Amino acid sequence: MKSALSIFGVLLLLVLVLIVGGCGSYNRLNGLKQSVDKSWADVQNVYQRRADLVPNLVKTVEGAANFEKSTLTEVIQARQQVTKIQIDPNSAPNDPEVLKRFQQTQDQLSSSLSRLLVVSEQYPALTATAGFRDLQAQLEGTENRITVERGKYNDVVRAYDTAVTSMPARLYAGAFGFQSKPYFTAREGSDVAPSVNFDFGKPASAPAR
Amino acid sequence: MGRFVVIGWFWLALVGAGYAEKMPPKPAQYFNDLAGVVPAATVSGLDEKLRQFERETSNQIVVAVFPKLETESSVQDFTYRIAESWAVGQKDRRNGAVLFVFVAEHKMFIQVGYGLEGALPDAICKRIIADEIAPAFKAGHYDVGLTAGVDAMIKATRGEYRGSGNTVGNGRSAFGIPAWAFMGLMVLVFILQILQSRRQGTVYGSSGRGFASGLLWGLLSSLGNSGRGGSYRVGGGGGGGGFSGGGGSFGGGGAGGDW
Repeated sequence: MKSALSIFGVLLLLVLVLIVGGCGSYNRLNGLKQSVDKSWADVQNVYQRRADLVPNLVKTVEGAANFEKSTLTEVIQARQQVTKIQIDPNSAPNDPEVLKRFQQTQDQLSSSLSRLLVVSEQYPALTATAGFRDLQAQLEGTENRITVERGKYNDVVRAYDTAVTSMPARLYAGAFGFQSKPYFTAREGSDVAPSVNFDFGKPASAPAR
Repeated sequence: MGRFVVIGWFWLALVGAGYAEKMPPKPAQYFNDLAGVVPAATVSGLDEKLRQFERETSNQIVVAVFPKLETESSVQDFTYRIAESWAVGQKDRRNGAVLFVFVAEHKMFIQVGYGLEGALPDAICKRIIADEIAPAFKAGHYDVGLTAGVDAMIKATRGEYRGSGNTVGNGRSAFGIPAWAFMGLMVLVFILQILQSRRQGTVYGSSGRGFASGLLWGLLSSLGNSGRGGSYRVGGGGGGGGFSGGGGSFGGGGAGGDW
């Protein structure tokens, strides 16, 4: 009788320890997930900022006399693709394929925009205007912000993934709905933001590498 | 043992080859002319101006003039990482901005912290660089260009936040103990003293001060003098103390240019 009681006591203690430990671990994972989602929202924010800038840029460039049409339509189409993406801005994707598709579409806009900026160098009457210079600075700044926020996103995802796949948490993280999340990969064509270098002679060529 | 040393050297050589980049240490001042292109009078004048600006608005604006660009990355990426590591700006407001100049490459960049992106949008940074700074730099007048640049940045960011009348650098004492810790200890000693004098039954505190608390008081006030008033730090290069980053962070805002 006495030994049964003590076994019961030990079991109770064990369950209690598991519950308390599990709660602490859950809270930690939850906190990390929140910061991943916040960072994801920041990434969405800067991409949105860029998409909002494009119509202004298109309008300004269109005004220039006989501006090359093909690069312009490319930008317009790429922006249409970007606005068509169905992705939750408030919660980071779990599926690597979803992130990959998102990234490909956005990178398409990046490269067509950088091409447009290079081409516009052929139109001194356009680039000399204050309006164009301001837009160009905004666009470059936005590309820089995108690079920064993507880097920050990868950092928090790394911390989150490490926590989810580390040993004690690994056993029950899935049951609580914590899956490891994919990273942004280095941009195809250029690993840095397409800060347009006007001094490489040939216009209309995609950024090297 | 010798083998380990050899391996160590190999490792160092590898690391050295991988990172041809030199991250600059935290700046000692608001205006840092590491290239030696600005007259000393202008340096101290602009430094004091920027320190006063932090007192008034809490915005931290730092200028760093480097002789050359030591990185294999882009200017934007390199300067972003420097600004982030210097933690320019207050932690909660993130209101820092840094003007970088690389003399040999004729390149510059203004990095803007999150909290000042509204006051210093990219287009304004571009205008400051292209219209205020670059023309003077082209003519070889670094002091004129930097003065104009600093003035323009101050003008753009004034009114965004209100300052506390103090700087982060002043809030930290020479011993690395924050000023509020001294204040707290002083108050504690004061309370102790009152308690003691009440127990001794004296109304006038003249003889009421016990030996222990008296000793503590003396020690603290001497520490406090050298600490809180520590604006007169040796080698501070001017009256108001050096620069100390408040913990701000950056998001890649700003613009660059050349001359």
